[in-house]
Amino acid sequence: MAELNIRNVHMHFSGVVALDGVTFDVKEGEIFSLIGPNGSGKSTLFNCINGFNRPQKGTIKFNNVNLLKKRPHQVITNGIARTFQNIQNVPFMTILDNILLGAHKRINFQSTVKGWINREQRQKEEAMGLEILDFLGIANYEQKYMAGQPFGIQKLTEIARALVAKPKLILLDEPAAGMNEQETVEIAKIISEIREDLGITVLVVEHDMNLVMSISDRICVLDSGKILAIGQPEEVKNHPDVIKAFLGDSADA
Amino acid sequence: MKGRYEKENLYWIPLLIGFIFLLPFLLKYATFSYKYYLFVLNIAGIYIILAVGLDLLSGYTGLISLGHAAFLAIGAYTSAILVDQAGLPFMMSLIISPLIAGLFGLVIGFPALRITGMYLGLTTMGFGFIVKRLIISLREWTHGAGGLEVSSPVLFGYTIKSDWDNYYLIFTFAILAVVVGRRIGKSKIGRAFMAIRDSEQAAEASGIHLAKYKMLAFFISGLFAGFAGVLFAHTSHFISTDHFDMMLSIYFIIMVLVGGVSSIYGAVLGTLFIVLLDNLFVPQLEDWIHGYLNTNTGDIQSLIFGLIMFLFIIFQPFGLYGMWLKIRIYWRIFPFNPRKRFT
Repeated sequence: MAELNIRNVHMHFSGVVALDGVTFDVKEGEIFSLIGPNGSGKSTLFNCINGFNRPQKGTIKFNNVNLLKKRPHQVITNGIARTFQNIQNVPFMTILDNILLGAHKRINFQSTVKGWINREQRQKEEAMGLEILDFLGIANYEQKYMAGQPFGIQKLTEIARALVAKPKLILLDEPAAGMNEQETVEIAKIISEIREDLGITVLVVEHDMNLVMSISDRICVLDSGKILAIGQPEEVKNHPDVIKAFLGDSADA
Repeated sequence: MKGRYEKENLYWIPLLIGFIFLLPFLLKYATFSYKYYLFVLNIAGIYIILAVGLDLLSGYTGLISLGHAAFLAIGAYTSAILVDQAGLPFMMSLIISPLIAGLFGLVIGFPALRITGMYLGLTTMGFGFIVKRLIISLREWTHGAGGLEVSSPVLFGYTIKSDWDNYYLIFTFAILAVVVGRRIGKSKIGRAFMAIRDSEQAAEASGIHLAKYKMLAFFISGLFAGFAGVLFAHTSHFISTDHFDMMLSIYFIIMVLVGGVSSIYGAVLGTLFIVLLDNLFVPQLEDWIHGYLNTNTGDIQSLIFGLIMFLFIIFQPFGLYGMWLKIRIYWRIFPFNPRKRFT
């Protein structure tokens, strides 16, 4: 079972408590959303899963592999790929090369050396990226440089870079941030397709409530590092604590 | 449009290689002082090998090195000692000496795991001074500051003596270096290097072991520089610590910058530009100033190179190769150029 188990994770940056006993499971083939106000620890949790941050207490297991024992670059070999909230890419590399960056672990040393002499090997390498570009519908951008591309394309490339590693679980950090309505619909479609067509479990952090409510199987609400509610979109939407956290504590809310 | 290789045309590569091999003949019939031009081209060829390696380190990986002349010195002195004092054949030295320079690269790469930018520049600069000092101190082998005479290379029983022979030896390896450099740059190693430069987070999340690849960049760069050093020692026949000073390291960085950061062809163009300028234009200018203004110019070379670097950083940050790309795009869409696009 490809399952992500997060158990009682505590993380504090000296005095600031970022995560305070977070516990939940993400089941295989699920779209699981993580929502919450700014500074509620969503990205910190992502960084903990990814190995950029080390929680002081608790365990994070994926497929019964303890992720807290792994260095950041080893996490992807365990089947977890991620995107970033603020785009992280290489501006002066083509989009195809940016995507192939994610295929780093799929290309071993022998085939790299073979590719120096053999053109077919290089084309085989490129095919990995082209496949994903076709899937996301941005195939005509392949040879363009990343610098100067529209924001939406850069975001999609970020997702493509995570997908090309053939992960079992993909962590999307605000995929629709800064997108217009039409692009958000597009992103929602892509996230569903990632699950349906590629069979990848999705863990997504997002602020756009329409998107979250329409695609998620389950939602977890975080506030100041604590879990407020967890469950189906409908349950979460009507949960009194959630309304309080998002809309404020007022009698006539 | 399916991938880079579908519409790649490579007809110009055999043409260019043919041109490189015919160039000495052309020079001989075109000019009287062709031997001097050959000598200049030989220097350019050696520096091309080094610049390709430096571009992989400073251009691709973004780890600045201000001590690259030290790697050149290590390669040169190691080979001189191995061939002339230990009696190894030149072919063996051609493999061992770059490896030793590469190992020194690993040593200097170790602090680079922690420090970046200016501080790394200072560290590598310090490394340059240390190596120079070390060469002067190891008197029994290196003859100290007095310099060392080096024998001619012997390949397959044939002694390579003249500038003419050296030209073919150097440019064979220069072409090889460019090909290998470009292959590294376009493979997963090059992508990893660029990712480390632009976004360490994305690199790590993609499964790139930062420490490993930073060390690899230093190793490869040391290897290329060591290779250039071996060729330098055996084709100039005399090496001394004066040659491997800090200014040379800075000229190497200028070569990479002027050519265009993170492009192997750019490194080649930049090297040719700087070396030809240094050997053909600067002496002319010095003569002119001496003749007309009747003053001694002193170190005008540094002034010119500094100015060139300055102007390139401001007006052409992508260097000569970037200029070439812009010109190519300009002519591809020629009558329909948007205004002010071509800058």
